[in-house]
Amino acid sequence: MTVKVSVKDLHKSYGDNEVLKGINLDVQENEVVVMIGPSGSGKSTFLRTLNKLEEPTSGEITINGSNLLDPKTNLNKIRENIGMVFQHFNLFPHLTVLQNVMLAPTELKKADSSEAKKEALDLLDQVGLREKADAMPAQLSGGQKQRVAIARALAMKPSIMLFDEPTSALDPEMVGDVLAVMKDLAEKGMTMIVVTHEMGFAKQVADRVVFFADGYIREQGTPQEVFDNPQDPRAKDFLDKVLNV
Amino acid sequence: MNARVLLKKIFFPLIVILILFSFSSADAHAANKQAHYTITTDTTYPPFELQNKNGKYVGIDIEILNAIAKKENFTYKLVPMSFNSGAQAVLSGQFDGIMAGMAITPERRKVYDFGTPYYKTGVIVAVAKNSKIKSLADLKDKKVALKTGTGAAAYALSIKKKYGFKVTYFNDSNTMYNDVAIGNTVATFEDDPVMKYAIKNGTKLKIITKPANSGYYGFGVKKGQNKELIRRFNSGFAKIKADGTYNKIVKKYLGASQSEFSGSAKTNNSIWGLVKQNKDQFLSGLLKTIQLTILGIIFATILGVILGLLAIVPNKLCQAISGIIVYIFRGLPLLVLAFFIYIGIPSLTGHKLPAMFAGLLTLTLNEGAYIAAFVAGGLKAVDNGQMEAARSLGLSYWQAMRRIVMPQGFRIIVPSFINQFIITLKDTSILSAIGIIELTQTGTVIISRNMQGFRIWFIVAIMYLVMITLLTFFANWANKKLKH
Repeated sequence: MTVKVSVKDLHKSYGDNEVLKGINLDVQENEVVVMIGPSGSGKSTFLRTLNKLEEPTSGEITINGSNLLDPKTNLNKIRENIGMVFQHFNLFPHLTVLQNVMLAPTELKKADSSEAKKEALDLLDQVGLREKADAMPAQLSGGQKQRVAIARALAMKPSIMLFDEPTSALDPEMVGDVLAVMKDLAEKGMTMIVVTHEMGFAKQVADRVVFFADGYIREQGTPQEVFDNPQDPRAKDFLDKVLNV
Repeated sequence: MNARVLLKKIFFPLIVILILFSFSSADAHAANKQAHYTITTDTTYPPFELQNKNGKYVGIDIEILNAIAKKENFTYKLVPMSFNSGAQAVLSGQFDGIMAGMAITPERRKVYDFGTPYYKTGVIVAVAKNSKIKSLADLKDKKVALKTGTGAAAYALSIKKKYGFKVTYFNDSNTMYNDVAIGNTVATFEDDPVMKYAIKNGTKLKIITKPANSGYYGFGVKKGQNKELIRRFNSGFAKIKADGTYNKIVKKYLGASQSEFSGSAKTNNSIWGLVKQNKDQFLSGLLKTIQLTILGIIFATILGVILGLLAIVPNKLCQAISGIIVYIFRGLPLLVLAFFIYIGIPSLTGHKLPAMFAGLLTLTLNEGAYIAAFVAGGLKAVDNGQMEAARSLGLSYWQAMRRIVMPQGFRIIVPSFINQFIITLKDTSILSAIGIIELTQTGTVIISRNMQGFRIWFIVAIMYLVMITLLTFFANWANKKLKH
């Protein structure tokens, strides 16, 4: 199996506040890793260091064999290969749904515009929103926006997808559609790292669940291991609270 | 129509035309082998300089200069501007000489070289026709009006303490006479022939003193410079004095009433008559204002966008450079900046700057600084998640800026842009101070000839309002087109 993401002793501080205190994690090809943990535990920050939206303070990150933190590494090239989906979608409000999806492939000359358009429409089909191609983002519901955002991230044909609490800003009835798209993606073999509070999704889809607390990875294992028999007291406490509402 | 098509179809051709238009008249004399000088005169100092009804400058100074140039076989370009600015511009090297009823005083001799004195003069005091003031002694604790930088003003200041009056300053004779006539100030100090001429032509003032501090007018150049020009002036002056041309000129102006030059009273009575009579001047003033406004807006927008971008790029040095430039040029009054560029820079470098160039540079720097401030604000107002989303797709910083952040930021600041365009249009009027005959200066000059202050300012005001209306209309139209 190929290692897609390898992180060694990663630290991140904001001034005196250390939010990541030495993270080690390897993610294999086709693996779905779900990261859970209380708010402020560092899981979102960690996810954002993986495409360098956050600059780590120290440590090593290797993506597809390239050292992310080497200043000589072409960051834009690496980012083309890592799709990212944000909690607040971050669709480009001045562009149509289709233009949102087509922007990166055409701007980065991955495809000519007719080819890019065809691929974009296929991706919109895949997320169930082909009929919204000419709509503006403001005309979509939250769940639709997030599905467009996923299509946009997929347009660059990434081999890794990062999801940063993709359903946290959605109305409950919208969550299912987005999770279904993600599940579909997982079944197709995408390497995925997902920060979420959707424990059901974690149980169903994750190959591995990673529990974050206080800037450390406290526990990791299969969903069964982590959910049914957590070893770390913080993990026990957290899962008690989120599973037994 | 998208933004690029709009730019291509409308803005770029417009810029090219305007630029060609602005500088095409620059040096028609370059090919000529004759010596060529640039000489400044006052905008209004009848009978020495005034504009005739065709918008041409006439007067004793102008005709003397003309006669001498013919005799001595040189050509010159006449640039009328306010006396004080013109006098300074000669010292900074912008002009070769000044022929503007300039009294030869010991102070001026320190910085200027003068040609043969050409006209004897003295300083008198004039008051409103119905004034009770009869002598200098009556001026105690009262306010008198002086024209900035004149010999008469210098004389007034020398006796200010003795007679205990206060002073206020004007840049233009007619505004000053009016101020005395309507009673804001009680008296003015003025050169004898000038005052007599103005009174003869209907200025409602009377002279209450004998000419004092008598002296002479002289043609001035910067001390130690342009010796050849002074030599030619003196030689030519001797010739026109000898052959009677000089006497003919003086007699022509002192014997004539101003209406012979400036048009009859009848045309002055209706606004429409004034518009028709002065249409060429208004048109050329209007064109100059439009030219300054459009080029000013374009250059200021370019500078403003660049500075605005520098202010937000993640680089401390760029941010500091932008910050300092914006701080300086937003902090300086436009008038100070205009004088600094037009009069200050040439005296440092020794190279002349064309007024139009200095004026455009002034507008570009000042308006550009304001534009930079709101461009930076608009770009910062775009949610940071937009940049993150674009970068996470693999776009470079500038690709993300250009495709994602700038289109959204500019939409936010469109109202600020329209507002700034209107301010730019109005600010062009300040450039009249460096001798650009735009619309406001055109008004001043016409009034100096026909004394129709209310009507002319009314016409000028309407012209500005029409332009601002059109500009706003155009800006809103362009904005709508850009939003498709």
